[in-house]
Amino acid sequence: MYYSIPKIEYYRPKTLSEALEILAKVEDSKVIAGGTDLLVDMKTSRVRARVLVDINSVAELRGIEDGGEFIRIGAATKLQEILESRIVSEHLPLLKAAVKSMGSWQIRNLATVGGNLCTASPAADTAPPLLAYDAELVIAGLSGLRVVPISKFFTGYRKTTVNRGEILKEVLIRKSGWTGWSYEKLGRRGGFTLSVVAAAVLARVSSSVVEDVRIALNSVAPTPIRAYRAEELLRGRRIGKELVEEAARVVASEVSPIDDVRSTSWYRREMSYRLALETLSRALGVE
Amino acid sequence: MVIKVVEDPRAIIKRWLTAESFITVGRSLERADSMEKVLGRARFVEDFFEEGFLVARIVLAKVPHARIRRMVYDRALENPRIYRVLTHRDIPGENQVGYAIPDQPLLAEGKVRYYGEPIAVVVGEDPDSVNNAVDDVVLEADPLPVLYDPLEAMERRDVLVHEALGSNIAFRTKVRKGDVELGFSKADVVVENTYRTHHQEHAYLEPEAALAVPDLENRITVIATIQYPHLGQRIVARVLGIPSSYVKIVAPYVGGGFGGKDDEGPLVAARAALAAYHLRRPVLLYYTREDSIQTHPKREAAVVKYKSGASRDGRLTAIEVTIVHDTGAYANRGPFILWRATMHSSGPYHVPNAKVDGYCVYTNKVPQGSFRGFGNPPVQFAAEAQMDRLAEKLGLDPVDFRLMNMLRPGSETITGQVLPSSVGIHEALKKLAVESDWRIKRRMYSESREGRFRRGIGVAVGWHGNSTSRAVPDWSNSYIHISRDGSVSVYTGIVEVGQGSPSSSHRQLVAEILGCPIEKINVIFGTTDAPDTGATHASRGTSVGAIGIVVAAGRIRSRLESFLAEYFNVQREDIRISGGDVVVGDRVRMRWEELVALAYSKGVDLSATGYFFLPKGSFNDEVGQGFAYPVFSYIAVVAEVEVDTYTGRVRVLEVHPALAVGKVINPEAVKTQVEGAIIQGLGYVLMEKLAISEYGRVVNDNLTDYVIPTAHETPAIREAVFVEDLWEYGPFGAKGVGEMAFIPMPAAIANAISHALGVGITELPLTIEKVYSLVKQVVG
Ligand SMILES: Cc1cc2nc3c(=O)[nH]c(=O)nc-3n(C[C@H](O)[C@H](O)[C@H](O)COP(=O)(O)OP(=O)(O)OC[C@H]3O[C@@H](n4cnc5c(N)ncnc54)[C@H](O)[C@@H]3O)c2cc1C
Repeated sequence: MYYSIPKIEYYRPKTLSEALEILAKVEDSKVIAGGTDLLVDMKTSRVRARVLVDINSVAELRGIEDGGEFIRIGAATKLQEILESRIVSEHLPLLKAAVKSMGSWQIRNLATVGGNLCTASPAADTAPPLLAYDAELVIAGLSGLRVVPISKFFTGYRKTTVNRGEILKEVLIRKSGWTGWSYEKLGRRGGFTLSVVAAAVLARVSSSVVEDVRIALNSVAPTPIRAYRAEELLRGRRIGKELVEEAARVVASEVSPIDDVRSTSWYRREMSYRLALETLSRALGVE
Repeated sequence: MVIKVVEDPRAIIKRWLTAESFITVGRSLERADSMEKVLGRARFVEDFFEEGFLVARIVLAKVPHARIRRMVYDRALENPRIYRVLTHRDIPGENQVGYAIPDQPLLAEGKVRYYGEPIAVVVGEDPDSVNNAVDDVVLEADPLPVLYDPLEAMERRDVLVHEALGSNIAFRTKVRKGDVELGFSKADVVVENTYRTHHQEHAYLEPEAALAVPDLENRITVIATIQYPHLGQRIVARVLGIPSSYVKIVAPYVGGGFGGKDDEGPLVAARAALAAYHLRRPVLLYYTREDSIQTHPKREAAVVKYKSGASRDGRLTAIEVTIVHDTGAYANRGPFILWRATMHSSGPYHVPNAKVDGYCVYTNKVPQGSFRGFGNPPVQFAAEAQMDRLAEKLGLDPVDFRLMNMLRPGSETITGQVLPSSVGIHEALKKLAVESDWRIKRRMYSESREGRFRRGIGVAVGWHGNSTSRAVPDWSNSYIHISRDGSVSVYTGIVEVGQGSPSSSHRQLVAEILGCPIEKINVIFGTTDAPDTGATHASRGTSVGAIGIVVAAGRIRSRLESFLAEYFNVQREDIRISGGDVVVGDRVRMRWEELVALAYSKGVDLSATGYFFLPKGSFNDEVGQGFAYPVFSYIAVVAEVEVDTYTGRVRVLEVHPALAVGKVINPEAVKTQVEGAIIQGLGYVLMEKLAISEYGRVVNDNLTDYVIPTAHETPAIREAVFVEDLWEYGPFGAKGVGEMAFIPMPAAIANAISHALGVGITELPLTIEKVYSLVKQVVG
């Protein structure tokens, strides 16, 4: 109570347009979804906001739908809903695996996928799977909607392409025939932990040849990243132990980790190799 | 028939020590506070806040070492809702609050000695204004060169943390027994290593807070997160320059302490009291999590140089140990911590020749302080790693080698103290080896050091002197009063800090001795309205804290028996009082309530205090020999780990404890202490690591970046082996248990990892990176 966040004004709009109008009109206003990042940041004054616009009651921003070609996940959808969704289970097992590793049940019942992406922490755990799925992000502003591929979404350390006054509306993921996937997250303790490194891999293998592969990692660069060079190396090649090892080494050379209180650059690079090796082997079906 | 009333404490303690059957003692009765806590009704300091009270926060220095020119806070005071910014100049009494050495100010004066040192208190109308004002207090100071490394600080004379001392060594200790050169000359194997351990943050659920309420005529009541109300009273009185009797301290339920609130509690109380004194209104002073981590003292970070020798027949011949404690900016309780580390440095073994030197060294870091184990975990880590290395060189099993050297009744410690009884560790370890399948698993894992996941099993023992060190006075006290309706009020200064002594064991002891119904007993704890019972630290809440309860209750029991014998003309053997039933001879039966009413009507005194002063010997600092502690508690643990050689991740699969802690009053309460300590120890060894920047700042001052273990990491904790080696003065023979399971955990886990990987370990913490680098040493 006493070391809570500063006094704030609070709005809880019912529609997206209402929310956008308040954001445009009221100075110093900021979107709040689950608040699991924002309130922590406000407590420590990393973020200062006077007005909060709560988007949890905006129906357009919530829910998971199977739209045939695309799966649509509303930005304000709770992580726990994603974890429990049959659609996600069936079509997006990689996303499910990542979400399962996030926070605790209590946190997942507050936290949203949109909040995770918009905070744009290098350690964001929904980012590697969504990068691997090549998700498209729909951003709403007063002037309408724009669609940004996730590869263009993170613009720097804790920065995104979402402008002031805009709201991330939803995440679109194209259904695609992947033959294998794998996700690994390493934290400083066994569970309920932020990542030191996480790796996500999607693969399509046909007659032992890599048709397509996507590799994404977090906590090894200023933003979550794709390992494009390693993907390039793998595409069209016949799967094998040496190939996977070589690709994992390329992954380790593509990352640019730093030393911080959570880990060291050396260890993160070593683990980028390790996790890439693990996830690639599993997704490609290599012993 | 007249039987004499027994008022003599020793006679009373002895009577109950020799009891053979029990009503409530030894049973896992439910704690009186469990429901309140589960339902969220239990009140902690903040819960006593009411509308209209003022709020306060401390301002922390943002330099590690500097000479203060002045403090500027005009901007803070521009906000009319900010009433005062208090500095050392506003202290009406003494600013000096050092516990062991008078080196520490309540609010910085002259110099700042660590980043995070409290320099001022801001008082205002609401948290927002106060939070903003804290940032507007500017310290103008000239930076001084800094010292972070204790080994360097020891040697330096040009940079001094405390100029007046002329050295950065705050305190020294020593033990000299026999002749170590002779001892090493008789050794067939010698092992020598330097061990390093690290700080630990207490990370209690409830950060520090105090609510000070001024009363008429400058009297004051402080509700505080504190482990020793009477010490708080003394410090508040000294800071305000008023008599102790004008100060009342109340520790409501406290959300975890582990020693941290023993150090910081009185200081929080004094800072809140200072604000209330000046403002003449109730003030709540609270630490944010960040304030708390930045400012309060941490577990000792130690460097331990350890040389030990043993003969081919498996006997220890000598040890030579140097302990360096990084006490940070202030000695705090550092000298006491070092003393304890020094006396325990051999482990619970018979060592004929010992030379131990301890140094408590100042640096410009957050001070070192009290934390579960109090100096003991680092030296046990070193001693027990040494034991494994020696066993390996001798080709002996680690358990066998330990048993060959273990203390037994009649053994002499390295300080030359003979322990006549209550030494159950030999038996405890022997049983543990059997129950944990030690031999089978040790062999099995030794033979399969291959593959990604490798298992290891490690053993470690620990001992811990009960009560204060050497001749430092220690006592117990309580006051018991029986009301006319038969209900019993028990007053104790012991605090409910999570361990449950006032809410479980104390009630059980009173019910056992008085024979009254347990639900009639109310323990009024954690208040200076009770007699000074000493601190709730050093595993003493029950072991020492409740001796006074035994004595007071024993006195009243004796008076009641004497009264009944005379009134009904029977022998004492004919009187039975238990569970609220009173049986006198074979004619008279009555309820407890009736007995109390009768006693009241016939003039029996049903109030008693129970003071007991612990008998002690003396220690000769010159020769480093003498009496160290009245008795020791003992523990052994076997830990099993699995190391992921790909990542360095360690999973502790199983921990099996064995304790020799005298009589177990409440098995469930003991079990929860053991489990809590094991998990806290596991966190310390595997993941907790305080990061201190080049500016001396604790960088991970929150629980996102300072990671502590969760339920996910909790291993299977096996049913403990108990050896009830009764202590002659303990309540029914009880010894201390709160700290015990922490003490051997660093050693047990490190020895298990060492076993899994086949590599020696000398440095903590064993984070994933660290273990991964150990793996690389072994497998490349
Ligand atoms: C105990 C704990 C454990 C955690 N564990 C993990 C973990 O394991 N992995 C992990 O990745 N994270 C973890 N987090 C971080 C956090 O929970 C997640 O990042 C979460 O997904 C954030 O979502 P939110 O809805 O709570 O965001 P909020 O805090 O509400 O918002 C975060 C930011 O995004 C903005 N924002 C939110 N929604 C939108 C939108 N639709 N459009 C535009 N801007 C928006 C807000 O303005 C704010 O700046 C943890 C946090 C805590 C407290």
